[in-house]
Amino acid sequence: MAEKAILYDATRCTACRGCQAACKQWNENDEFIPTVENGVQSVNRGSYENPPDLSPTTWLKMEFREVTPDGKVRWLFNRRSCMHCTDAGCVKVCPSGALYHHELGFVAYDKDICTGCGYCEDACPFDVPRYERNFVSGIAKMDKCTFCTTPGLDRIAGGWEPACVKTCPPDALQYGDRDQLVAEGKKRVEALIAKGWTNANLYGEKELGGLHVMYVLDDHPAVYGLPVDPQISAATIAWQDVIQPIGWVVGGLTILGLGFNYLVARANINREKEKKDAARS
Amino acid sequence: MQQEVEKYSKPTRILHWVHLVSFCILFLTGLVLFVPGLGVIAQDSWTRVIHRVAAVIFILAPIIYVPMNWKATLKGVKEAFSWSAADIGWLKAAPRYYFLGDETGMPPQGSMNTGQRLWWLIVLVSGVIFTITGLVMWFAKTTAPAAVLQWMVFFHDVAFIVAGTMLLLHIYLGLLHPLMTEAWKAIYKGTVSVEYAKKHHAKWYEEVTRGKEVKS
Repeated sequence: MAEKAILYDATRCTACRGCQAACKQWNENDEFIPTVENGVQSVNRGSYENPPDLSPTTWLKMEFREVTPDGKVRWLFNRRSCMHCTDAGCVKVCPSGALYHHELGFVAYDKDICTGCGYCEDACPFDVPRYERNFVSGIAKMDKCTFCTTPGLDRIAGGWEPACVKTCPPDALQYGDRDQLVAEGKKRVEALIAKGWTNANLYGEKELGGLHVMYVLDDHPAVYGLPVDPQISAATIAWQDVIQPIGWVVGGLTILGLGFNYLVARANINREKEKKDAARS
Repeated sequence: MQQEVEKYSKPTRILHWVHLVSFCILFLTGLVLFVPGLGVIAQDSWTRVIHRVAAVIFILAPIIYVPMNWKATLKGVKEAFSWSAADIGWLKAAPRYYFLGDETGMPPQGSMNTGQRLWWLIVLVSGVIFTITGLVMWFAKTTAPAAVLQWMVFFHDVAFIVAGTMLLLHIYLGLLHPLMTEAWKAIYKGTVSVEYAKKHHAKWYEEVTRGKEVKS
């Protein structure tokens, strides 16, 4: 099946945060109220941006950024949520298969079987997974954007676009076949360049094997706070691709070796005993 | 009746069993994160709760033992790091012994033979690695940088692979190998027969009879 994706056009975004509200509403994450008790202080941070960060009940948030190239203030908006990577660090390290690639390419999540290990939290190049965690006992559950495929709330299976896309008034968010959106994104970038935005680019086409959330930007990704050339960490590769396979081989050979030793040693020792018994009688 | 000689003192035996049982629990509750098919068992974090309770026992047991048994500890740690050419001789002779029951060519051994000392060294080193990396993962999960936490998991995993497979070997030799007739008694009752000591731990037995040895 053709891979699906979301295309976010930062140049069309008005930062109304309708997507943020629709995400909470559709995914029943609307109970979150910022208080000191739940770890979020509702303080004035000199920005319209709110809440301050992603959380177990905030899977999508809009970031506001003020930059001053050439002394002119620009107010930039950036959509912050799971990027649904093809080479997804979280899927690589998830020990229970709770995180997996949906047949349509993006990273789906089965919260029921999450063990709360927190490996995805550290493996994600975009710092997206958020946890509810008991510090002492370690009882924990992860949460992140599921591309609106949470069981019982699956919009994609119903043939609908994700809630954030559905609600976007200026069509800054689009949902569709990934190939088509790449072409659409490139067209937008060309149009921007033609208008004089020479740094315009399409972010996410190639990054980490291709993201399933792509960005049309009028400036360098770093200006928007996006990691330039994100990578799966060296520790993830050393652990998952080197040490774990070695562990399987070492463990397997040890068990086989012990079984083999048992059979040989028992046969030999029985033979010795029989010899001794025969000599005695 | 056969003459017996004390091999392991009571505190040492208690430490051994407490540590072994807690390590087995840690092994099993850790394994569920290693084998993808078992990941389902770990859902809702209950294996992590057990893992942490066992970890507390695993860390506290030696901390309680050491100050009460200084001499035995020092002797043990020293032994773990004293290696000589004779150990190569043991390693060369080991396959013939463990597969064929042929003891010729085995150099005389101290209270621990080369194989036992190798395992003991792994227990010490992996124990330190498990403890440090585990405590960081437990108490710095929300504060340490992601890369640090990832490398902690990595080294926890390396220690798991080395110590875990060697644990299988240890249990096998203690319980199942047809020749290891005295191992169980040594660590359960604390004694081995004089005959066995002479044969398998000649250097140690000599020290015992000279009355010079420190109890382990």
